[in-house]
Amino acid sequence: MNAIDGTDRHIKSTDGPPPSLLTIILDTNPFAWAHLSSILPLSSVVANLLVFINAHLASGNANEVAVIASHNKRTAWLYPTPAPVSAHNTNGDSSSRNGAATHTQNANKYQPFAEVETNLLFNLDNLLKTTTSDDLSTTTTQIAGALSTALSYISKSTIRHSPVDPTLLESHALVIDDGNLTSQRVNLVSRILVLSVSGDLASQYIPVMNAIFAAQRQRIPIDILKLAGDTVLLQQACDATGGIYMAPESPQGLLQYLMMAFLPDATARKWLVLPSAGSVDFRAACFCHRNVVDIGFVCSVCLSIFCSPNLPDSTCLTCSSVLSLGGAITAAPALIPRKKKKRKRVAGDGSTPGGSATPLPGNGTPVHP
Amino acid sequence: MSEASTSYKKQDGKLLVAQNGRTVTWKPNAPSASSLTIATSEITNLQQTPEKSAKVSIKIVVQRIPGTPPENHTFSFTSPTSARAEQASITALLRKHIELARASGGNTPAPAAEDAPRQPAALAIAQAVSAGARAEENMYEDSRLMLNTELQRELLNARPRLFEIFNQALREKPDTITIIQFSTQFWAARVHDLRAYAVEKSQNQGTYNVLSEIKPVNVDGATRLNISKEQIQLIFKQHPMVRKVYNESVPKMNEGDFWSRFFGSRLFKKLKGEKITENDAVDPRLDQYLSFNEDADRTEQFVMAHVPHIIDLEGNEQDHSQRLGNRLDWTMQPSTNEKVPILRVLNTMSEKMLAEVTPTDAADPHAPAGMDEETYKELKLRDLQRGADDNRIMLKISDKKKFFTGNHGTQNSSSTTYAKRSPGKVLSAVREDVRNISDGMSSGRGLNLETAIGTQEDSDSEDDEEGVEKKARVGNKHSRGAATVQIMGAINQRHLHLDDQLLSTTSTAEQAAKVGLTSGVLDTLAMTHNTTVEFLHYFWTVFLSGDADRALEAEKLVETLAKSLERIKAVADTAEKERERKLGEQKKRIEEHLQKTGKRRKFDPNSIKGGSKAVNDMMAPITRAIGSALQQYKQAYEEQRAQMSQLQMML
Repeated sequence: MNAIDGTDRHIKSTDGPPPSLLTIILDTNPFAWAHLSSILPLSSVVANLLVFINAHLASGNANEVAVIASHNKRTAWLYPTPAPVSAHNTNGDSSSRNGAATHTQNANKYQPFAEVETNLLFNLDNLLKTTTSDDLSTTTTQIAGALSTALSYISKSTIRHSPVDPTLLESHALVIDDGNLTSQRVNLVSRILVLSVSGDLASQYIPVMNAIFAAQRQRIPIDILKLAGDTVLLQQACDATGGIYMAPESPQGLLQYLMMAFLPDATARKWLVLPSAGSVDFRAACFCHRNVVDIGFVCSVCLSIFCSPNLPDSTCLTCSSVLSLGGAITAAPALIPRKKKKRKRVAGDGSTPGGSATPLPGNGTPVHP
Repeated sequence: MSEASTSYKKQDGKLLVAQNGRTVTWKPNAPSASSLTIATSEITNLQQTPEKSAKVSIKIVVQRIPGTPPENHTFSFTSPTSARAEQASITALLRKHIELARASGGNTPAPAAEDAPRQPAALAIAQAVSAGARAEENMYEDSRLMLNTELQRELLNARPRLFEIFNQALREKPDTITIIQFSTQFWAARVHDLRAYAVEKSQNQGTYNVLSEIKPVNVDGATRLNISKEQIQLIFKQHPMVRKVYNESVPKMNEGDFWSRFFGSRLFKKLKGEKITENDAVDPRLDQYLSFNEDADRTEQFVMAHVPHIIDLEGNEQDHSQRLGNRLDWTMQPSTNEKVPILRVLNTMSEKMLAEVTPTDAADPHAPAGMDEETYKELKLRDLQRGADDNRIMLKISDKKKFFTGNHGTQNSSSTTYAKRSPGKVLSAVREDVRNISDGMSSGRGLNLETAIGTQEDSDSEDDEEGVEKKARVGNKHSRGAATVQIMGAINQRHLHLDDQLLSTTSTAEQAAKVGLTSGVLDTLAMTHNTTVEFLHYFWTVFLSGDADRALEAEKLVETLAKSLERIKAVADTAEKERERKLGEQKKRIEEHLQKTGKRRKFDPNSIKGGSKAVNDMMAPITRAIGSALQQYKQAYEEQRAQMSQLQMML
């Protein structure tokens, strides 16, 4: 229209940073928390986490948050409360959802903050109430499941935020603004923050690595705040996706760690030097026993990692192809010089090259027999 | 003469050398006897009886297939008058043809290794060009580059940094390793550098259109024209007509005269391709060549027997699609000559220039005519094809469930500690904890976050007074301060490890200042690091080769590695001395400040960075590497020693 009648109309598109979704995975392994309760009880961690969530929601109007609890044998949603399957709300009242918390009207509290807080605490309480002793037979947490849940939620939110409908492309989704094509869709950026307290994750090596690669593809940084437990895989997650790995030395300053290191979103991170710890532990876990290996053997067809070259039936466990080491074994280093036998010079032998002619590196054939 | 009367196996006949030189035939006079044909390419040896002997004969040694014993054929020349002359001519002919056969049929690149080990690069290049494109890959082969010391020396001269590394490592190498071994090792890791440099050197500038480069220069009122000898050569090569004119005109007028007239004449303009206007000077002698027809020497360029349809312009004549529609563009019609002569001239010039360049698709003349597979593939319109079938290898993954239900193999420390507690107790503890949160919520008001997070602004000042007994509370100021310190430390460390792009823009002086060292010390450090890496490389090659004869080398290298450690320490000491000096200066400045103003400024030794601490931090990885190398060597040595002594005891 601008070109036709010479008016200067343009539609203002959002200039600020794009809305950001923060997904928090809270490791609720009761063993680990019981162990940590002297230094850092779960209640204070949850409180600090709530302040952090409030700060995130306050940084942008359209920012969103999601919290997932990674328990011993399952994962549970802490926020947003999942709608129950059999809900038929005839009156459409959101507060009368089955089991949902009724947040009270508190004039001193900002409503969205209050909603997050009540839901989170209610669901956490439920989770712990419904844990039986049977559930605690394993001592590690289902971090792989939590990561997958987070990734699928992020994917769903991204689509919901900016639906990709091919028919929309031709009509009003693309706006012509002074000859420039701008699309009105503003994409959602997301990241995942994991508060981890348990170790021994090598048993879930394959699914965790799959989740890491999926996040890498979608450009979702995974940040890790490691309060307890050994690291094994999680440093690799940060390194591969461009996130921040922090193992706090003074865990009581938890709020400071959260606010200073993990609050900036993707737009701000472009301009900041990230406080990631230096070295990364790149060791992998073998596919047969889930042991962490330093030097391993890899199948040349499907790239699965094994800890020893002697496999049952000499076949790879995943792709059933026949494997053998063959000529790949390096010779043992020989460090004692061999005794050189003195040989009588036969006439007409020609001059044997003296000790100066050495074979090229890697050749291995000795000069003297 | 290619024919002579000879006798073979006591039979008279004629010995003929074929016109193309490929076969030698002997036909007996008596038609009943069999004739003998020898292919020239199979002749391995040719002997003739000396001049002075009475008999005149030649002996041809033929080897039909390599591996079979060679056959000898003796022919004696029976001509009464000119036997010796015939013998001489036949042998000369045969020799020539044999050499020709060898040169075209053999085509194996003469291995340079057996000959003088220092084969100059120029000879290698000449061989490559003459033997065709196939030999070019061999020229850049690893073994040739390794032996080519001249090339290596030139590369070292061209890159001063590499030269420094080489010299320094050479100076510090142990004495039992000879220079040859050392340089072999050095270049073995850098063959790709050598290859790139060799390729770079072998490129040179091609020919250019000479006539357009020659312009008269106005100096001091007189127009001068500078032409070099090479330019004259090029003119003659590119325009043979000029040579003809020159040959005919120069005996009559002298050179300078000829050239000055030539460059002002219409002929020159025609050759350049410019349009000839009426204002140009008319030069009677030279202008007679204006109408000279150049087609004679141009036809030899049209060697292409079969023009592919896709570039066939004359085929457009048969293509009548535009007959009733738009006329062809006037530049594209093949018959216009005078309207735009520059197009034609430039095109023929380019063709001539390209004819001298080695062709990239120099097809073997014996290959079948027409397009070959590669050209066909290039000309094919790829994006109009249908998508290719999926040709991937299917992996049969046996049991997927196995991956996701991991059996918890290793029990590491955290799980064992957790296993000690009973699940019931753990659960109740955590539930209690969570209940604390709910208790914190006053009824209907939600959680009071300020008290929950535990940061109490006013009570933090008590921490100093409580002394040792302060119970660590979550969220107290001290821990938050420690958190800040840790985060800032991590950021600083990250900042030090600059990525490559930033690294190239900051100079060494700035980098050195960031760490706290002077740039001289940083340079020495870098050099030491490089040489140590060289020696480590060498050590590991020798160690892992499993070659018992290099055991002595390995020992010497271990000593060298120990010496590298000392060198690093020496650099650290130098840095420390520098730091001491800076400290002294700082102290002096504080003293002066005190005297001047009476105020004492605090002296903080930690603010001066650098010194041996910085050096050791930076060299920590390589020190570790040297340590591990030494340790592995020692371990393997002890084992072998033990084995040897056992063997000797048994003997």
